[in-house]
Amino acid sequence: MAAPRNNNSSCWGDPDVYKHHEQKKICISRPKYRDGRRDRAVKVYTINLESNYLMIQGVPAIGVMTELIQLCALYGAVEEYRPLDEYPAEEFTEVYLVKFQKLTSARAAKRRMDEKSFYGGLLHVCYVPEYETVEDTRLKLQDRRRYIIRAVRNKAREKEQKEAINEKPTSSEKATTSETEYHYYRHGNPHRTIPTEDKMGTLHNAIIDTKRLEPQSSSSCQASSDKDRGTEQRLTLNQAPAAVRFVPRTTHLENRKRRMEEATDHSLTDVTINNEPLIGPKLPEPPKLDMEDVSLNTTANLIRNTLKKVESVPDLKPVEKKVKPRRRI
Amino acid sequence: MWKKDSSEGSDRFEYLQTLVTEFQDTDNEEAKEQVLANLANFAYDPNNMENLRELQVPDLFLDMLTEENANFVEFGMGGLCNLSMDPECRDVILQGNGISLVTNCLSNQREETVLSAITTLMNLTTPSSRAEITDPAILQCMLRFSLSESPRLRSLAAVFLQDCCSQEQVARAEQQMQGQQSAVGIPLPKD
Repeated sequence: MAAPRNNNSSCWGDPDVYKHHEQKKICISRPKYRDGRRDRAVKVYTINLESNYLMIQGVPAIGVMTELIQLCALYGAVEEYRPLDEYPAEEFTEVYLVKFQKLTSARAAKRRMDEKSFYGGLLHVCYVPEYETVEDTRLKLQDRRRYIIRAVRNKAREKEQKEAINEKPTSSEKATTSETEYHYYRHGNPHRTIPTEDKMGTLHNAIIDTKRLEPQSSSSCQASSDKDRGTEQRLTLNQAPAAVRFVPRTTHLENRKRRMEEATDHSLTDVTINNEPLIGPKLPEPPKLDMEDVSLNTTANLIRNTLKKVESVPDLKPVEKKVKPRRRI
Repeated sequence: MWKKDSSEGSDRFEYLQTLVTEFQDTDNEEAKEQVLANLANFAYDPNNMENLRELQVPDLFLDMLTEENANFVEFGMGGLCNLSMDPECRDVILQGNGISLVTNCLSNQREETVLSAITTLMNLTTPSSRAEITDPAILQCMLRFSLSESPRLRSLAAVFLQDCCSQEQVARAEQQMQGQQSAVGIPLPKD
């Protein structure tokens, strides 16, 4: 940073030339997908760089201060302004310091006025946070924090509302994302313990599950820590009205397979649990062979039981779409 | 720049994901700097914060703090300064050993990096992290900053001392400083 010429930090003292006032070279090497509409330098803006104080250079020295301030006032109330005669300026140009009432006004003014022609001259507008008092800085940070918290809260509320609307059967728009939803569904569903459908794994029984899930998701709506789980559960509700919505065939198949696996799981572990009436045809039991010999029958039964156990263990783990941890450099 | 329609959210996410992928895949330092600056600037908009969190960008920024390239550090620190305003990002940063990494940036040569570090520490202050953030070593550093020639550094350090710690803590740190013979410890930034 250029060494400051004096220690006078008051707004109306002699100005110092700082690095952040300088216009940086425009970046010309950006690939197209991230090349914006305007040419810009490589620079990061934080709340520390921004300020409600702006410095405007390149104003033609033809007595247009009033016009300049009027232009600034288009973006918001101007609290104070003065020419910065001591600041190094190009020949025949002047430099002005303008204090806006709000940071947002200063931001808009900078964006709109920087690099713009003004009475034949090219304006260069930059933030000058060094003119802020301690109180100015504190208020700036506080306002920024409050704004962020409010914006994040609003966004969360919007998201919840959107998802509440999506619970009702809507367009087939949802169909394209149903596979992703399906993976969320696998992730966040610890509540289905009772097999309610037949071994064919039809979806109509999913509606029963929905009713069971509903009270869960409405209560988890409130807690922000449960927000993710609530989101997942609400996403699962999208699966329910399958009868009126198009769901891709692969989702059906995977659903069915998973339910079969779960059904066999439960049928193995707890035979008595199955009080629910099975709807639909049952698969025929594999025929029991009588080898007409005790030892052969024992062997056959052993093999049969082992086969049953092997078949019942899901050989393919459901593909879970997790967010991979990003590779660190 | 972003259209307000139903696919806007996923477009935004995908674009940010493309940036992150480019950053990880490219070896070109210049391209990395550009993308990093992009991400740090996107982190300024609260609409992007959730997406960036999902893409684990807070961790990416934290990783930049220990890089040799001074631009990487400056941009990463700027990104953290922007993101840490959001409570959820703040928590992610805290869990990723953020306080220690950010504190190290207080001794950086670049003023912008130091300013971002001070602001980030203020954002990271919660009832549970306050004790760590108001460590006497940090307070002494802030006290020296508050005497700096740079007005921005002076103001920001003053806000930190007034908002993040009690008067007793500051007084104690002042006493400890007076007890020291020379200004040992974290140097002031050069630029």
